[in-house]
Amino acid sequence: MANIANIDVAGGVVRGVRTIDYVPEEFNHRPPRYYLLWLMLPAILLLAAISLYPLVWLVYMTLHEVQLAPGKSDVWAGIDNFSRLATDKKFIRGWLTLFKYSALCLSVEIGLGVLVAVILNNNRFEKILVTIFLMPMMMAPVVAGFLYMFLYNGTFGWYFWLLQSIGLLEGGSILGNRFWAMFAIVATDVWQWTPLIALITLAGLKRVPQDQLEAHMVDGAGPFRNFFSVALPNLYPFLLIAILLRFMDNFRFIDTILIMTGGGPANATKILPTYLFDVSFKFFELGRGAAIAFTLLLLTILLGLVLTKVFEDPTRKIRTEREH
Amino acid sequence: MASREIVRYRSPLRSVLQGLSILFLIFFFVWTVLPLFIMVVSSFKDLLDAFQLPEPGDWGDLGVMFDFKPTGTHYVELFTEKHFGTYLRNSLIASLGSAAVSVSLGSMAAYALSRAEFRGKRDLLFWIISTRMAPVVAVMVPLYVIFRSSGLVGTLPGLILAYTTFNLPFAIWILKGFFDNVPYAIEEAAQCDGCTRWQAFRLIIPLVAPGLGAFIVLCVLFGWNDFLFATIIGSGGAKTLPVATAELVQPVKIQWGMIMAAGVVTTVPMMFLGLLIRRYLVAGLTMGAVRE
Repeated sequence: MANIANIDVAGGVVRGVRTIDYVPEEFNHRPPRYYLLWLMLPAILLLAAISLYPLVWLVYMTLHEVQLAPGKSDVWAGIDNFSRLATDKKFIRGWLTLFKYSALCLSVEIGLGVLVAVILNNNRFEKILVTIFLMPMMMAPVVAGFLYMFLYNGTFGWYFWLLQSIGLLEGGSILGNRFWAMFAIVATDVWQWTPLIALITLAGLKRVPQDQLEAHMVDGAGPFRNFFSVALPNLYPFLLIAILLRFMDNFRFIDTILIMTGGGPANATKILPTYLFDVSFKFFELGRGAAIAFTLLLLTILLGLVLTKVFEDPTRKIRTEREH
Repeated sequence: MASREIVRYRSPLRSVLQGLSILFLIFFFVWTVLPLFIMVVSSFKDLLDAFQLPEPGDWGDLGVMFDFKPTGTHYVELFTEKHFGTYLRNSLIASLGSAAVSVSLGSMAAYALSRAEFRGKRDLLFWIISTRMAPVVAVMVPLYVIFRSSGLVGTLPGLILAYTTFNLPFAIWILKGFFDNVPYAIEEAAQCDGCTRWQAFRLIIPLVAPGLGAFIVLCVLFGWNDFLFATIIGSGGAKTLPVATAELVQPVKIQWGMIMAAGVVTTVPMMFLGLLIRRYLVAGLTMGAVRE
């Protein structure tokens, strides 16, 4: 900021000179830490209050039998909440179902998504089709759940009718059948999230070096060969991100499953977070729920570590490779 | 840049592939659009029309889908009898409130994180991103107990705070990426011209404004579409649209017409917002890992 100062010069004093606080070393340095700290502080404090503080609570809850009724105090339980998990069949089945569900979702979504992206890439209608395809992603998962429940309905559902008409289904019900229910919820997830995979792949395809493709073609490679040996290796980092993100979302959001089956029939679609929801908010066994939540969080942190590694690599690596 | 003009010779294989890919595109288009279409159409059908289906295998009778008299009763009922106006307002307040808190605090923190170098920065960033990735149900277990004891369950502030658990780390993480792309030289120049540090920070905000806007929209979208927090923490006083929609399911009969209408009311605004921020959508949904 400008100041007014009196400056001593040889032969006298010059009054009222405009000066600025010129501190040379400050210009070439980042802003001082305390200043940045103050900027950071509100967000960090708020985040700590709504994430670290609950985490402390979660650990506390895993070690206690939590009483929700007023006046009663929590009972120390030691590691009972955890040791009981080891013999809890539903807990173990919940993990298995979660992996089965994710594996089904991811394989179909990656397959379809890559196919859509490859076909759309440089297509005449690319822009408009992409815009149409991303509409399901904007829908609230609850609404998607209801919509598919409506389509699967045994008396007036159009998809039920369709499956019957092509002879896949005899009758009965889709969501009430142990075999079909899993595919039904997978189909809903596939409908909503394949477009995201397609968009990520499309972004990756735009970065496939054209000269490599050309060189390959000049050498006589056909479209299949071209895709598998040039495009696909360039796509791996993008697919990895897509898989990790979708896998995380599969157990982050259970809205659709809660609406459509609630984990049934006979626990066929009871993936672990759904079981956690039941234990905590239906039976209100919060201590046990906390222990289950803790195991889920551990997996999240593990995946997060992998993800941050990947985050730092792909786009940047590709960008720098191109610059050099 | 290599040329994009690759000479392609017509070979039988290529023609077959082309035909197949067009067929697949049509299939995928129908698969994507049909449910949306049925939702909209069904929301305008009365009970009897909605239950009309052709006999199994009777492909010629597909026209039944369009054989109805459009009626707006479901929408009218939603807003008069079911008080969807209130829930719409709740949804708006909760999602906008959380977006405002997240982006305002988040942009300051993101700027600071982008400019600062200190030990443990990576750990701090990891903590921030893992907060965002934690499963909603798992976060909710302790949050519910805390909110219950502090009287936040069933209130809009409680819901705003709950949404902030995933929106704030999201905003910090994404906006940090934006500030990383703004050269520090701009701030230096501003400070040479006599700006304070705070003024210099305000000065570069317009440079990230489009992204900032897009991520406010995304934060609104995440809050708006949330069901789990809303059903546990917002139940009672702060019912949002997804919760209200779920409550249309009654033990005796499910009012499908109204549910479809509620679905349209919940979905259409978000689809428009989604189109609005189309350019930032992929970056937003992949936590900034993939840019188009």
